Amino acid sequence: MATKILSVDDSRTIRLIVGKAFRPYDCTVLEACNGEEGLATAAREKPDLIILDVTMPVMDGVTMLTKLKEDPALKAIPVIMLTAESGRENVLLIAKLGVRDYLVKPFKEDQLIEKAGRCVTLEKRPVAAPAPTPA
Amino acid sequence: MAAPADINQYKELARRYGIAATPESVSRLTQLVARQDCCTDEICRVIEKDPGLSARLLRVANPHAADEAEYTVGTVDQALMRNGIGCALLLAMGTPLSAALIKTFQTMLSLKLEAVDTHQLDSLTGPHMRGSIGFAGKVTGHVYLRMSSATAKAIAAGILGLEPAELTDNDEIRDAAGELLNIMTGNFKSNLCDAGLDCRLQPPKVGMTEDFSTPVEPGGGLERLAFRAGKIEIFIEVTANPFMD
Repeated sequence: MATKILSVDDSRTIRLIVGKAFRPYDCTVLEACNGEEGLATAAREKPDLIILDVTMPVMDGVTMLTKLKEDPALKAIPVIMLTAESGRENVLLIAKLGVRDYLVKPFKEDQLIEKAGRCVTLEKRPVAAPAPTPA
Repeated sequence: MAAPADINQYKELARRYGIAATPESVSRLTQLVARQDCCTDEICRVIEKDPGLSARLLRVANPHAADEAEYTVGTVDQALMRNGIGCALLLAMGTPLSAALIKTFQTMLSLKLEAVDTHQLDSLTGPHMRGSIGFAGKVTGHVYLRMSSATAKAIAAGILGLEPAELTDNDEIRDAAGELLNIMTGNFKSNLCDAGLDCRLQPPKVGMTEDFSTPVEPGGGLERLAFRAGKIEIFIEVTANPFMD
């Protein structure tokens, strides 16, 4: 069964980059554009990993992480923060809430895959067989 | 001021997560600026030890000079006396901002962006893309990002791994420019907050404009930065006004 990854970010650009990074792997990438949507999607889809931004409208990433960790059905889902904010207070608070890893923007797709690979099993998609050549 | 235990724990987490540290001179300068009772002599000594910061301060203090030969303010001491603490704050903000922009180009576009003197680039004329992010708290101001629409398209396409011709959705171009602003400002906001200058970022605004004015609040300062990589030219403006709340 494909690994389910939920990308929660208000930037469509970042969600596209995350989707592109996992394309070679047997993954389904789900998207949400704020913490509220992220929580609803997490409750419905039970992803194997959440990649979460901090600064978002409606509900920010810290609030979403807090609510996620309070929910017995969701608290075991590993979360990687993907944010441009690396200030001391933010990092200490987020670590205390129980984040699995932290990746500061800008980032390389390889870095994201490496960190995700420490949380979930990533298997390469089978390469499609070339179409038979007409006789 | 953060407790030593917090600082040590943060250093350990930063090492584990691979978070890069802000240059020592910039951290020190931000901490000094955050202390409203700090004397300019201390700030002066920190800036003088860093040739990059000294050069930028003198450039900010001589906004109308085309080059160093035209500087009327020639020393760090004079620059601080004339422009005040807001000027030092701009330096503290500009360094992480520039570093984040250059790193973004390197990591996401494989392009080596270089900081250049604003006079070395042709000025933008006519309609261009402008993004802005406001920040408010113990320090208040804006960061503006300006570039031609062709540059904005090339950057968005590069970030998304597309050819510029494949990118026809203007929303995607605007979103990529907004994210570029988010990344830059998120980095300098972290530096300000760590020094005690707590502030919050507002959502980015991106659109086409022909307006080249940059409003500066009374008592505030303005620094202009320019960057180039091949045909890509980017202009950044930072306005800041410390101790607003």
